[in-house]
Parts: sequence; C-alpha cells; structure tokens
Amino acid sequence: MSVTASETPQASPALNEAAAREMVEIINLLASARDAMSDGMVSRLARAVSEGVALLDRLTSNHGFMRLLQVLDQPESQRLLIGLAEALRAASRDIAATAPCQGGLWETMHGLRQPATQEGIRILAYLGRHLSDSLREQHRRGG
Amino acid sequence: MRIVIVGGGTGGTILGNQLARRLAAEVRAGKVRLTLLSDSDRHMYQPGLLYVAFGKMTPDELYREEASLLDPSVDFHVDAVTEFHLDRNQVRTRSGKTHEYDILVIATGSRIVPQEVPGLSDGAEMFYTEEGAVRMYKRLLEFRGGTVAMVVSLPHKCPVAPVEAMLLLHDFFKSRGMRDKVKLRYHYPVNQVHATANVARWAKPEFDKAGIEYETLFNIKEVDPVNRIVHSEEGTESKYDLLIAIPPHSGAETVDDNSLGQGGWIPTDRFKLTMNGHDNVYVIGDATDIPVSKTGSAAHFEAEVVVENITSMIKTGTPVREYDGKVYCFIQAGYDRATYNAFDFVNLPDLKPPSKAIHWFKLAYNQMYWSTVRGLL
Repeated sequence: MSVTASETPQASPALNEAAAREMVEIINLLASARDAMSDGMVSRLARAVSEGVALLDRLTSNHGFMRLLQVLDQPESQRLLIGLAEALRAASRDIAATAPCQGGLWETMHGLRQPATQEGIRILAYLGRHLSDSLREQHRRGG
Repeated sequence: MRIVIVGGGTGGTILGNQLARRLAAEVRAGKVRLTLLSDSDRHMYQPGLLYVAFGKMTPDELYREEASLLDPSVDFHVDAVTEFHLDRNQVRTRSGKTHEYDILVIATGSRIVPQEVPGLSDGAEMFYTEEGAVRMYKRLLEFRGGTVAMVVSLPHKCPVAPVEAMLLLHDFFKSRGMRDKVKLRYHYPVNQVHATANVARWAKPEFDKAGIEYETLFNIKEVDPVNRIVHSEEGTESKYDLLIAIPPHSGAETVDDNSLGQGGWIPTDRFKLTMNGHDNVYVIGDATDIPVSKTGSAAHFEAEVVVENITSMIKTGTPVREYDGKVYCFIQAGYDRATYNAFDFVNLPDLKPPSKAIHWFKLAYNQMYWSTVRGLL
C-alpha cells in the first residue's frame, strides 16, 4: 500500500491530533494522580518502602538466616515441619478430648506402657541426638 | 585493626554501617573490630525539626534507637568520649574506660550556642532542638498579628534553613487566613539574602513574591526581649513581635575541651578528610573546618569517601578516593513546593524551579533517611 503525496497532509494532522489527545490523557492521568495524593500518603508509602528495604537487607546480610533458609529449602526439613504442624494440631485436638491426668506413679506407669507414648519418646530421642550433633557442629564452625 | 568511631549522628552511623558491610569478612574473622561511642542511645533526624516547628511532623517521628540502626557487628557503647590522646592512639570515655585504636573517626557534630548572643535565649524562638521546635509551633499558633522577624548567625547547620523557614512562615500564616496581619522580616549577616550567591539569586525573587522584607548585612549583636528589639553589630535595629533565630553554632564541647580545633571545628584536609597532622584520624560532618555546608548530606558523602579509603587501606594498603565537596540539600519552598541544591568544590549550585514533585521527594526522603543511616542508600 502506498501513500500518495495528496494523502499525506491529511493523514499527518490526524495522526498528530490522536497523539496529542493521548498525551493530554496521560497528562490528565498524572495530574489526577497528583491531586489524589497527599503529603501523608507520600510519607507513609516512603516509610513502608524504607522499612521494607531495611528488613530485606537485614535478612539477606544475616548469615544465620540464610543458612536457615538453605536448611528449610530441603524437602526433609519441610516434611518435618509439616509433620510437626500436623502433630501439633492433632495433639491440640486430643488433649481437648482427654480427661485430665489423675496423677501418681501408677498413672505414669500406665502412660508409659502405651505404644503411642513409646513412639513419642523414641522420636524425641532421635530429635535430641541430631539436635546435639547439629549444635556441636555449628559451634565448631563458629556460627 | 581497631577502628573507633566517635559520634552516633548521621556521619558516624553511616560510616559504622558501611564499614561493617564492606569489611564483613574481616570483622567475622576477628581481623577488624568496629567500635562506635556515642553520648546518646537515641538517633535524631535533625532536618525534621523544621517540620515540627510548623506542625508538619511530631517529635516522636524524629527518633530511632541508635542500636536498631547499627549493624550488629558494630560494638556500640553509650559512653561519650571526654579525652582524646591522639599521641597515644587512645580515647577515654565518661565512664573512665580507655579505647585504643589504629584508626579513629571523629564525627562529633556541632551544637547551638545561643548564649553567645546576649538576650537571644530569652528573646527568640529556635527550632534547633526538639523543645525549641515544639515551643516555636505553639508560639506561631498563638500569634495574632504583627512583625515576625528572623535573625541568622553564621555558621549554622543546614545553610538553607532560614530561607526555608521564611517561606514556610509565609504559607503558615496564609493557610490560617492572616497573612495580611503579619509582616515578615528577614535579617541576614552578609550582603545578600544567602551566603551562597546562587541560592541568594533564587531566594530573593521568592521573597519578593511572598512579600517578605529583608535586610542584609545584619550581624546580630544583642536582643532586648523586654522592648522586643534586636540590635546589629552594624548599628541598626529591628523591632519585632515574634523573633525567630538561627543561633550561632560551635563544634562539640569535647572537641573544645581537648583543644582539637578553634571554635570546636577540627582542622581537616578537605580532600583526604584526615585531621591535619594525624593520618590515622579522620574527621567527618559538622566537626570539620572544611568549607562545605554543615549538613547531614555532607556528612553522608564524606563518610562514603572515608569508608572507601579505610576499606582500601585494609585490603590493598592504599587510599582510593578524595572528597570532592559534594553536597545535596533539599530546599522546602513553602508548604507544597521544594527544590534542591547540589554542588561540590568546583561546581556551583544551580537551583531548579520549585515543584510539588521535589516536595514529595523531600517528604519521601524524610522517611528514607533511616535507610540512608543504615548504609543502604
């Protein structure tokens, strides 16, 4: 398609008019945004950005936190945390539905004989052993 | 390497945080120790005082706990330095503790000394302290009409503050519908409305437009609070109903007490920012005697140079930068307009027409300041 010389003078002003209209719209948009803003809004926005940036900086420059993120990034850690969260929810439900302990040695012995109690003690033992190993290793690395 | 920073204002805090960032590995390895000694556990955003004086900010917005702003690897003590033993590379604090250093940075700032002008403390309102700014706002609210005069002593913190305050006064009374009942008079000690020629060239028509009267070559001699008259060294006088003063400033008391510099200003190499005669002692901010504005901005840019040089000295054994005199200051030109002033040793300021966008930039900076002192900006 070709544009003849006679068409150009007509096409050009039309184009300029459209472009000018768009520019006016953009200017009006900016002006309306400016009129809608207040000093307080600008201050609050800037404060949020400032605090956000500072928080991000604190987190990313914190070696302990970054190591924690690495550990949390592993599926095993996530499984453990999910398991822990689910166990907390279930334990909370169970404790609400169970009668209070009577107390005394017999009650303790009775509890210890339950397979679920023994499972729990075993998990705590595993956790305790690995927690000791991890703490020892972290101290050795000086972190 | 023991680096001791004296002063927890803008310069000292930025310097401590930026050193902690740049020398993180050395600090972790125990090769570098950073210590910051300050006389206060709080950090004040001083430019905010002008806004408090006009009811645009409340005092609590000006403060943060210094410890919350500092990198955890900076060993921070609220224990003001009282003695400098530069020949022995030691400073002694109020608690009696001695700190030895390999590098010392003095960032002790400046203070107002209104007592140097007879009658000034009793006769004038000043917005250079929290109490003063709050009191000034109350006085402005109570003011029912008459002459509000401003007098200025040099040098002082934030050189554009008097111009800003006059333009804010104009908008304050205008917004209360009583501008016609108030005569605003501005007195300045040199022969133009501001010591910096380009600022004066910008401020004069702004004053004319706002109907602010001005008298130059007015060096304040004394204030007569009973008759409400302020006298100048030049023999002139000015009557007022409300007097607002930019009081004389001096370096920190401890600098004076230890005779580190005349008037409390420490003789400093303007490029290296080292104290004259002491290559391992840096001076930044208001404490220097170099010919730049006494502003947080100057302290900030100076701190960056010193950080670069200390870091480079530790890592490569040579300094890498010189201070070029860079300063950047916002100028509030009323309630909703602002411009800025940027210059260095070579380039003079070139002020742009005030705008709402720059006003908002300034308001945003009032909040972003906390990121600046944390060494992020």
